[in-house]
Amino acid sequence: MALPVLELRGIGKAFDGVPALKGIDLSVHEGELVALIGPSGSGKSTLLRCCNRLTEPDGGAVRFGGRPAPSGGRALAEARRRMGMVFQAFNLYPHLTALENAALAPRRAAGLSRKAAEQAAREALSRVGLADRADARPDALSGGQQQRVAIARALALRPRILLLDEPTSALDPELVGSVLDVIGSLKADGVAMLIATHEIAFAREAADRIVFLAEGRILESGPPEEVLDRPRSARLRSFLRRL
Amino acid sequence: MGIFFDPEVWGIAWPPIRSGILITLALALASIAAGTAAGFALSLARTLPVRRLAAAIVVYSDAFRAFPPLVLLVVLYFAAPFAGIELSGFAASFLALALVLAASAEEIFWAGLTSVRRGQWEAALSTGMSRAATLRRVILPQAVRLTIPPLTNRAIATGKNTALASVVAVPEVLNQAASIQAQTASPAPLLLAAVVYVALFLPLVRLGRWLEDRFPSP
Repeated sequence: MALPVLELRGIGKAFDGVPALKGIDLSVHEGELVALIGPSGSGKSTLLRCCNRLTEPDGGAVRFGGRPAPSGGRALAEARRRMGMVFQAFNLYPHLTALENAALAPRRAAGLSRKAAEQAAREALSRVGLADRADARPDALSGGQQQRVAIARALALRPRILLLDEPTSALDPELVGSVLDVIGSLKADGVAMLIATHEIAFAREAADRIVFLAEGRILESGPPEEVLDRPRSARLRSFLRRL
Repeated sequence: MGIFFDPEVWGIAWPPIRSGILITLALALASIAAGTAAGFALSLARTLPVRRLAAAIVVYSDAFRAFPPLVLLVVLYFAAPFAGIELSGFAASFLALALVLAASAEEIFWAGLTSVRRGQWEAALSTGMSRAATLRRVILPQAVRLTIPPLTNRAIATGKNTALASVVAVPEVLNQAASIQAQTASPAPLLLAAVVYVALFLPLVRLGRWLEDRFPSP
């Protein structure tokens, strides 16, 4: 049985008194790909951001690698480094090349030498199929390429899990496939992932488990065929019908 | 026309004006360097999550951008001694120009820092970089591009405002020219001073134009 990499217990969060998450329990095991689906505003992003505390949860506990995740300071920075995050809007550094984007944190957060950081960045760029665009600035890359560089930026730190926040939602339809292919290949390499997505076909094919989130609660969770083909709640049935 | 360009008077006026150039340049460089550095430090301090500090910086910045530099200068030079603070003309001028520039520079740097999207902070923090490293490696390089053109303009304005120091007897270019004008009863020294100012600041203005082309605002 694979060990849990990330465990959430009773995570709650409200924004200005409006609850966004109401007691989420969820774990992701080594090598596992868990897909979060649900309508916009259901709390998928907030849930991902509570994992690495870009959003501070109001309550509940996060465990990472079998231990309580640190809530501040250097220890939090170190935990964040091992939980790679990929954003819907890529958030690449526009003043740096693809290689520099991926080498920055290995150098400045992990403390590698310049050479070792570049080496890690190059390896990560080849994993996403962009070794030949290492010297390109983000504005010279397509959206799909930018998102793959963003994935490489996270991979260069050898994370224990990747948190992906709707990584293909900002892409033109013809570019979605290239990013999903990369995510699929990482899954094959055994990288644990928690991914918020609207790509139901991808989730069905690649996910080990699908978690359906609505109004800040997990309504259903299980293997793709169970959740997608035999939804138990009316909420999930209507969500799947409207896709 | 001849009276403005009287070669004899220009000859008399040149040596004192030449020594005034050094003082003008020293005053300009010192106040630009100190004012920019102080404004930068204030803008960084304003990013700290300390509300009162940020509020105090805003009050300072607004107040000193509202202050005419000449008024600040005469207060520092003529009024401060009554509070037991004696400043030389040069020191009072330096302080007045630097305080006013710091206020504008703070606003310019702040605008640059806040123009960088939150996602940049989040991306860097999510890779385990510290706030300081994020600021230095990710935020500032993007912010600085936006600040260079307006900052150059404020620096030029500060350089030109060194002429205000003539009212507190600092022997800079204008002050020297005015003395020679009084001695010789000729307007020629003032014309020479005007030429000197253009020669001093035209290169800076050209540099500002070049920087604006190089770092266009988006």
